[in-house]
Formats: sequence, structure tokens, C-alpha cells
Amino acid sequence: MKNVKKIVKDSYSKIAKNNTCSCSCNSSNYDSVKIAKSIGYSDEEIQMASEANLGLGCGNPIALANIKEGDVVLDLGSGAGFDSFLAVKKVGDSGKVIGVDMTKEMIYKARNLADKYGFKNVEFRLGDIEKLPVENECIDVIISNCVINLAPDKLKVFKEAYRVLKKTGKMYVSDIVLLEELTSAQRSDEKLIAGCVGGALLKSDYLKIIEKAGFKYKILYEDREISKTQYNGINLESLKVEIYK
Amino acid sequence: MKKDIIDILCCPVCKKELILKIEKEEKNEIIKGFFTCKKCNKVYHISEGIIDFLPKK
Repeated sequence: MKNVKKIVKDSYSKIAKNNTCSCSCNSSNYDSVKIAKSIGYSDEEIQMASEANLGLGCGNPIALANIKEGDVVLDLGSGAGFDSFLAVKKVGDSGKVIGVDMTKEMIYKARNLADKYGFKNVEFRLGDIEKLPVENECIDVIISNCVINLAPDKLKVFKEAYRVLKKTGKMYVSDIVLLEELTSAQRSDEKLIAGCVGGALLKSDYLKIIEKAGFKYKILYEDREISKTQYNGINLESLKVEIYK
Repeated sequence: MKKDIIDILCCPVCKKELILKIEKEEKNEIIKGFFTCKKCNKVYHISEGIIDFLPKK
């Protein structure tokens, strides 16, 4: 099987170029606006940064996160910047938002949209969420929307999040977790890997990894409907979790 | 990339401080340049205003 990061990068480069999702997470008739609405974004939020919404999330971490004016927010897997732009509105002029993504095309798209919308205090950098280019304990809020499942080493991602988050900081994650183990054929299916399923962990394993990284957590919401609406009935859910030190 | 976020950057590999060399700048934005890690000497390039922190093969 090809390298997981290469599969993900190739797939999301195509999505950034074509503005559509070719993977299983968008294989039904749902368009990105319908998806955004179904996973918890308001009409106002969708309109505010419509071109950055590629319909790739599985929840709305911004709605869950208590982002205050002046906060420094880190968006893990920022894609075209949709959640980062919503966060920018909340942090105001005194705060800042940093988006990290490993797909060059997504970073360029996000940066161009930031210029177009006039968002000043947001910065996108090309990087690996397993190796964050961010100093220790300087982030107030970390958000991540349907991305950590794509990382081959999820423990590394949460350990890095722990390192950069302030002691009083919070992390809000929306991610796909499995309720039943996949077959080995499903695990190596490139479309399922890029579509947020092939690399997903069982819910219990996912939560154990969060604790292993040193965090505590509180489950905020579990969406099992998403299995039918976007994932062809595969036994999974979208987990929304608040994570803290 | 914007100049005012340099203070929270670090080397993604060894987490140490980075030294910035600016080659082209417009207003508060660095368009071209590079960072070098003080400890491991890895170089991270900035081109078209985007900094590339991805590991090189």
C-alpha cells in the first residue's frame, strides 16, 4: 500500500483544485452547503466564508469552542480555511489564528481566500500536525475538524497538541471514530483512507490515546446519523470532544 | 507570512529557536526568505509568502 500521507496529500490536492470532494465522505448528493448545515454550521457562518467551505468537516468545532477575543487559535488541518476564518471573527484584532495543513494547494487556497475576505490576523503554514512548528504552551484554543483520523500517528498529534497548548488552554476536536472494526480490505482502501474512514480508530482506542498524551476529555456530542448521510452505513460516528490538561 | 507571528514559531523537528533571513518583504509580510534552526541547522523556506515546514526527503 502507498504511504498514507501521500494518499491523503494527493487526494486533498485534487479537492483543493476542483473544489469538490471525490472521496467517500461526499459521495452522496449532499453538496458542501448541505453537509455544512447538517453538521452544525449556521447559514450566517456558511455565508461568511462560503468559498472556504469544501464540505470536508464532520462537525463544527467553532460552535463548541469557547474562543475569546485576543485568543491565539491553532487549526490542525486547516484545509481551505473555513474554520480558521470563523475563528478569526471571534479572536478579533488582538488575537490570531494559525492554520497548519500538509497540502500545498489547500494552503494557497486558504491564503488567497484570507486576502480576498480581508482577514488580517490569520496565517497558514505548510506543516505536519505530527510535528508542529509552534512553541511550547503558547496556544489558547486548538480546533480540528475531521483531520486527526488521517494522521498515521494519532498519539504524536495529541502529544504535540499537549506541548503547544497553554495550561489553561482547550482543544476542540470533531473527528470520525469507528464503532466497529473495519475489515483489512477497508483499512487499505485508498478512497476510505482519504475519506476519513480507513485511518479512523475505534472510539475507545481514540479516547485512550487522548489520555495517553496526558489530556483529560469530555465528550460533547456524538453524531451517529452521519454514518447514513455521508458514509454509506459504515458503523461509525462523528465524535465531538473537549480536551484539556 | 506575517512578521508578528514569528515569536511563536519553532523548529518542528527539535523545537528550538529559528533564525529568520528575509529576502523579499512587502509591508508586514515576508514574501521570500528562510528560517534556519539554531540547533539542528535545518532550513525552512518561505516562498510566495508561505512557509514550508514539511519534512524534506
